Amino acid sequence: MEKLRFSVSDFIAITNQTLEYAYPSVEIEGEVASFKVNQGKFIFFDIKDAGGSISCFMTVWQLRVPIEDGMTVVVTATPKLTQWGKFSLTVKAVRPSGEGALKKSFELLKAKLDKEGLFLEARKRSLPTVPHHVAVISSTQSAGYADFVKILNDRWGGLQVDVAHVQVQGTVAPDQIIRALNYFNERDELPEVIVIIRGGGSADDLSAFNDEQLVRAIAGSRVPTLVGVGHEIDESLADLAADVRAATPSNAAQILVPDKNEIIRAARYQVRSLLPRVENAIDQQSIFVRTTLSTILVQAEDRIQQRLEQLNGIRSVLAQLDPRTVLARGYALIRGTRRVGEMIEIETNATIIKAEVKDVQVK
Amino acid sequence: MSKLNKTIQEKTAELSELVAWFDSDEFTLETALDKFKEAEALAEGIEKDLTALKNDIQIVKQKFDSES
Repeated sequence: MEKLRFSVSDFIAITNQTLEYAYPSVEIEGEVASFKVNQGKFIFFDIKDAGGSISCFMTVWQLRVPIEDGMTVVVTATPKLTQWGKFSLTVKAVRPSGEGALKKSFELLKAKLDKEGLFLEARKRSLPTVPHHVAVISSTQSAGYADFVKILNDRWGGLQVDVAHVQVQGTVAPDQIIRALNYFNERDELPEVIVIIRGGGSADDLSAFNDEQLVRAIAGSRVPTLVGVGHEIDESLADLAADVRAATPSNAAQILVPDKNEIIRAARYQVRSLLPRVENAIDQQSIFVRTTLSTILVQAEDRIQQRLEQLNGIRSVLAQLDPRTVLARGYALIRGTRRVGEMIEIETNATIIKAEVKDVQVK
Repeated sequence: MSKLNKTIQEKTAELSELVAWFDSDEFTLETALDKFKEAEALAEGIEKDLTALKNDIQIVKQKFDSES
């Protein structure tokens, strides 16, 4: 067999071509060691396990989550032989692997962004009470999206809902969500709210929502954001950067719009509550009328009593003046001309006497 | 705010005003019946509008899997 002979440069080039053909993109899991950043742009670290170690190279902008020595990660990379004959991995993406690494990465990024003020309450904007135009970023095939739409339709109508279908897990998810955010933020007719939703999943599934660039894009959105990712107990950095955080996609729909059934019930209740008020007013009016009538009656009786008493007084006086009373006391009433020889009539209490005048003397 | 939604909000506000009238000094039994009928009609209108409204959900055509 003929031996192949290359120049050093050619051999490096052909080796790289072979590597690129054999492993255009590989994922390698291992522990980070000797992590360092040069000139604020270039990142170097080793990825190792008990049996070996490989050098890695990437740029700062490719690193979407913080990593540090000792952390288990999965790197997506292309193997390469450098011109100095050193074998290394050119890394396109790094993601923490395993619960411990994910948690560590989450805490590191949370502390960093918190220090920058991305999660400050003062930055939070309120959502419109009843929006008309809403944008939704989610996977339209996910259960979380279906829950959101169901609750939204149950609670309210008349909304214009524009939905951006994106992947909500995996390494491509953050960039897709960022593009969708930019898309809605650049519309001529801006939506009033951008809702980002994803249902529950493992910590690894939800790690897309702890991507630094995505968290920054949410915090920088012109349009207020509502983020509902995972279950109630899950916390993502996207949640913290959002203007409003929902516990779940269903909860996002509950926050977004009022419940029309509650409004209908409230309207019915308001109308029903008017009847007792009217009845109460009628009762009060009746009481007032009865009280007034009663007062008038009492006053009328008093007046009548007064008049009766006055009448009795007059009667008493009249009784005293009655000639019969005088006659009863023994006096007599004389009728006729008081001249001698004339006939007169003398009336007593019990008798009427005819008599002749015999003598008249002046006292 | 859509025209129809705005109307619902206006109707809701109007209903609240009517209810408040029943508690105000302006309340008179003579006009209470008319106001009550008005409130009843508003509540029915709100229910009808809310039940009839449907959301318009559109998936945007734009793809987000790569820079366009």
